[in-house]
Amino acid sequence: MAEKVKPGRELIEKWVREDEEARRIRREKANWEFIEKQPPRIRFALIVFIETGDIYKASHIAGLTIDEFNELRVEAKIPIIT
Amino acid sequence: MIGVVDACFIIDWCRYRRRELLERLFSVLFIHEETLGQLRSEKTITYVSDLLAKGKLRLYPWSHSEEDEYLRLRSEIVVDPRIPSLERPDMLCLIMAKRLNAILLSENIGIHRVIEFHSKYSNVVVWTALETLENIVYKGFLNVHSAEDFLRYVREYEHDTSHIFKSNRLKQSLRRIGLWLRR
Repeated sequence: MAEKVKPGRELIEKWVREDEEARRIRREKANWEFIEKQPPRIRFALIVFIETGDIYKASHIAGLTIDEFNELRVEAKIPIIT
Repeated sequence: MIGVVDACFIIDWCRYRRRELLERLFSVLFIHEETLGQLRSEKTITYVSDLLAKGKLRLYPWSHSEEDEYLRLRSEIVVDPRIPSLERPDMLCLIMAKRLNAILLSENIGIHRVIEFHSKYSNVVVWTALETLENIVYKGFLNVHSAEDFLRYVREYEHDTSHIFKSNRLKQSLRRIGLWLRR
């Protein structure tokens, strides 16, 4: 059994700050009018992407590949933040 | 220079108006078959097909020992809600980049975070599109006479791909470009 490798507390705190800032920007830039018009599952997936920035999680919810979900993300004007 | 591309990077980069610069920067790029399986949009498939046809993009010959390394890495990483989903294809790309001593091109925050805390992978160089653009400038494939010129290219990329680079990372990049211009 491989030993678990864990991130340190400072790193986690830094990530939490980065995630909060990225979430704020995604919420601000998103085209909410477009998002509100989408079918429930797609709308939910786009909101999950805004909240988490996790394209895998969001595309699983939408039932799409990440490439297909990315097309929707661009239409919804939700930025990827790196 | 050898690169490894993951799906998050390639689906973004293919939307960029100057996407052909990638093939000038790298002598060869490797991709995993499972990454190819994630690509569905016409735009991405057309771009990737062109790269494969030109011989700039090659399929990586995945081996049993690399599969073992993947299983080890997967079991070592503690699933933490602050590490975004790390899907198998992206972890394979990390292992490929380590094995090839290549630059990993990835926009996956989860991968960038693994590099930050896992000592075995901390030597892997991971670039987002920002570092890629920066290195395109250093190699002289984009003409830049000031930090503002570089910023214009970055804004073009952000516009084409609906991508935003974090302000602190962008500041660091502009500072490096400024130093390079004064060399």
